Amino acid sequence: MMRVLAVTLAFFAASMTAALAHGPTRQKVTETIEINAPVDKVWAVIGDFQNMGWHPAIEKTEGSGGNEPGAKRTLTLKGGGKIHETLTKSDTAGHSLSYEITEVDVKVLPVSNYSSTLKVEDQGGKSLVTWRGAFYRGYMNNDPPPELSDEAAVKAITGVYKGGLDAIKAKLEAGG
Amino acid sequence: MQAGFAATRRNWLLVGRQAGKGLLAAVLSAVALAAVLGASESSLAGEHAKGRPDAAASGSVRRAYVTNQGSQDLSVVDLDTMRVIATIAIGGKPAGVAVSADRASVFVTAPESKELVAVDTASHVVRARRAIGLGPLGIAVNPVSGAVLVADWYAHVIFVVDPVTLETRAEIAVGQSPSGVAVTPDGRFIISADRDSDQVSIIDAAAGKRIATVKVGTRPFGVTIDAEGRRAYTANVGSDDVSVVDIASATRIATYAVGRRPYAVALTPVHAFVSDQYAGTVSVIDLERGVRVKTIAVGDHPEGIAVANGGRDVLVACWFENTLERIDAATLAVTGKVEVGDGPRAFGAFIVER
Repeated sequence: MMRVLAVTLAFFAASMTAALAHGPTRQKVTETIEINAPVDKVWAVIGDFQNMGWHPAIEKTEGSGGNEPGAKRTLTLKGGGKIHETLTKSDTAGHSLSYEITEVDVKVLPVSNYSSTLKVEDQGGKSLVTWRGAFYRGYMNNDPPPELSDEAAVKAITGVYKGGLDAIKAKLEAGG
Repeated sequence: MQAGFAATRRNWLLVGRQAGKGLLAAVLSAVALAAVLGASESSLAGEHAKGRPDAAASGSVRRAYVTNQGSQDLSVVDLDTMRVIATIAIGGKPAGVAVSADRASVFVTAPESKELVAVDTASHVVRARRAIGLGPLGIAVNPVSGAVLVADWYAHVIFVVDPVTLETRAEIAVGQSPSGVAVTPDGRFIISADRDSDQVSIIDAAAGKRIATVKVGTRPFGVTIDAEGRRAYTANVGSDDVSVVDIASATRIATYAVGRRPYAVALTPVHAFVSDQYAGTVSVIDLERGVRVKTIAVGDHPEGIAVANGGRDVLVACWFENTLERIDAATLAVTGKVEVGDGPRAFGAFIVER
């Protein structure tokens, strides 16, 4: 009896999740930084989808498919936790790449349906790096717990972007 | 009236069984029966129906009403100058938008506050707002009866709403999580894109009842009906394609591959323009040849898309870019853009021309 109830409840929970999948509203974050280095030099650091070692939170990058759309990578974070991503667009000449998270535990990063673009533009010999992401919060039903709210998702992604951009700037302007 | 309802019901069952033999004939008899019974929506055919726009007075005003989900307001864009002439606070994370049959009001859904909001197009003020359903999203207006049709994401119904009072007069059961909704130009059929059922529902507007469902691609979101009222086009977010449904025969007759995560479709007599959210493009399908003839780069995350300026232009709201961009429907080039509020969605028929 209990088992039947448990199965019924699990089924109900699963169908609720599917039905409510797009109830919350999509969020976005854009962070930019100016770096006193030419575009090619910046792109050489951040343009390789298979090496995200430039970000201070990343322990290692493992993947396949190089820098072609469809390429995959798994990021292992320094505090533990993994993020699985796929490259969706690659514009080497335009110094831009877009990717999506295919799998992540919301305890690692409290977002769902995350997509992102990283782009470098010339600013009179210097570089402007823009990192933008579109995503839903980690909790897809109504009334999320605070750690899985819209605000928590925006805060987490903003932190990831700022941390990464600051690190590239420091590295390149130190003459790295 | 009880007996009448029962009779109506029997008729729908019949329609289901006869689907293979001649749906249209069955539909027509059902419509006739519903008309005799005096069904839900026809009672709404009041002043708004009488006050329908006269085509003679066209060309003086061309505007886009863009719902901005992030900044929770409505940008009014003059399409002649491509400038924002008003910004109207809405609240509740507005998404869906539709224009009243008499062009005097714009209706906006606010999914977060669960409201339907009516904005006066002359004064640019909110003239009414009313709580509705559990998750109002897609919205359309019946151009003949004037009724406002609101798709409810959580309640899995289409609400039939009075355009003046915003009171709900009826609800029509459809599939799971209806998102886009559209009405044929003759006002007879309502079509909803039932996102989580991978289908469209075809509804007899006068009877207020669903008469058929048609399987389409995966996760249909926006739905648009052609000017003749013959075909419905769904943008299928999950399968990255567009399904074409023949309304009379209730069958899917074509599928076109487009860019990633398509959101909605705009139609001219020769082309379908599809906003590809993740690709950042608008796919252009040649309707006669049935092939994609161009992929136009637009701002990041293009969403709401509609034909404007008497069919000469297509307007698309770019959610990430915070722009409304204009595409020349003949040359297929981007010819203008304007910055709007944060997170424009413009989900629906968001253009007013009169």
